[in-house]
Amino acid sequence: MSDPRKEHVLVWDIPTRIFHWTIVVLVAVSWFSADNGYLRMHLWSGLTLLALLLFRVLWGLLGSTTSRFTDFLHPPRKVMAYLRGHEKSLYAGHNPAGGWMVAVMIGVLLAQAVTGLFSNDGLHFTGPLALWVSDDVSTRITGLHGTIFNIIVVFIWLHVVAVGFYLLVKNHNLVGAMVTGKKHPHLVPAGLNLSFTRLYIALLLLALTAGIVAWVFFQGVP
Amino acid sequence: MSDFGPGRLSAAAYFGCVALLTALGLGVAAWAHPAFLHSSLQTMGLEAVPHAAPGSFYVTRIAPLFDARCLGCHDDTRAKGQLRLDSFAAAMRGGRDGPVIEPGNPKGSELFRRISLPSSDDRAMPPSGKTPLTADEVTVIKLWIASGASGELRTIKGAPRPVVEVKIPESDLAAVQKQRAPLAAALKQLQARYPGVIIYESRNSADLEVDASLRGAAFGDGDLAALLPLAARIVRADLSGTTITDAAAPTLVAMTSLTRLRLAHTKITDKTLVALVGLKSLKSVSVVETKVSDDALAPLRQHGVATYGGGNE
Repeated sequence: MSDPRKEHVLVWDIPTRIFHWTIVVLVAVSWFSADNGYLRMHLWSGLTLLALLLFRVLWGLLGSTTSRFTDFLHPPRKVMAYLRGHEKSLYAGHNPAGGWMVAVMIGVLLAQAVTGLFSNDGLHFTGPLALWVSDDVSTRITGLHGTIFNIIVVFIWLHVVAVGFYLLVKNHNLVGAMVTGKKHPHLVPAGLNLSFTRLYIALLLLALTAGIVAWVFFQGVP
Repeated sequence: MSDFGPGRLSAAAYFGCVALLTALGLGVAAWAHPAFLHSSLQTMGLEAVPHAAPGSFYVTRIAPLFDARCLGCHDDTRAKGQLRLDSFAAAMRGGRDGPVIEPGNPKGSELFRRISLPSSDDRAMPPSGKTPLTADEVTVIKLWIASGASGELRTIKGAPRPVVEVKIPESDLAAVQKQRAPLAAALKQLQARYPGVIIYESRNSADLEVDASLRGAAFGDGDLAALLPLAARIVRADLSGTTITDAAAPTLVAMTSLTRLRLAHTKITDKTLVALVGLKSLKSVSVVETKVSDDALAPLRQHGVATYGGGNE
């Protein structure tokens, strides 16, 4: 009897999976640290998030097939058709609705990370670039940072509800796929031909974005 | 586990569960964060928003304190600990851990506990680095809470009187020196010629004051005309008892900054008074024991100038 796991098809590369789960952890850490006043921890989790999000943007341009924006950003008409159940195609990576969810989530998280750079807590802590702007502007950005957090919570809820829907109603285990990187062959298009970008390129891109974030950080150090 | 095929739940059942769990989650959030619940209910119009009455103790004494000492961290943009103190309703709602004001019980109120802590305590409010509340300010908040943390109460017996902060503008001596410079030479010369007659109005001013009354008959039209180079800077002039006549009128009219003028016991007549109507800064004129008629003073009075003496004295 053959092992059923061997039949599964690799759709998610390692960098995308590590990115996804690291983001989950870092959002939780950022939430916890902000809520409990651990602002140094919040700073480092935010900077790491920023580096990873920038990496993900580059990976969306240069990464493996299913990680690329061109693979999962579909025209609105196709998205609407998919949501109405008229679009029955199989997708190796993100489906049309999920693709936009990913893009919006990256955008919102980026906005959150960037506003965090200019924020302050009104006491002894300021974001690395808060001194680049006036106190008034920094305070306004801090308010925006709080508002974007609420938007993120809504998106997380929406994301979890969607993943739960696929798991419990459509019987597609998206979580498992994002862990193992593999999907059942019946859930991917026939004749699938995915290309996977080499891991060292991911490491180079990550080094680049980490360097950019470090440079930004040191701009704010007097 | 199968990875495809029919799911364990229908879509309707799933979204029913989602709605239930979401409602449960919001309920837990409301229980854990009462301020969030009240804020939501008040925003939706399902709960009355408490307001403080104009002129109430809260508005006149408590809100200014919160404004000066607390809003840096507890306004709508920062709301540290999810606590806002920028309105009566927000203050009464409390923060992440619930209400911070327990009406009638200062010691049970987190807000009072925090502002009463020694500054060395990490939990003290305002935190280190910020201007602390004075003992009187702490007392005012304590009495307000003890009196029921009302938004209606207007006075509270025993509350320390409010401290009125008077700000005296700092004088810019460099600017004064700059204004005085063009006058210095002429003034020095005139002060040598008429000791004690012309001086600066104050040490923070370039305006001048003239008092020729002590020179009496020794000060006449020619002497007054000698002050002409400084006329525009003269704001007060006492020429009482001098021998000036209507010939002094052109010099007086040149004193465009003049506010007070005393011409008592002089020979000036209506002719001079009519000429003074053009002095926009003039506030008072004294013509006691002169031949000036009341008719000549009337136009000045119409311009709001106080007059003393004249035809009706």
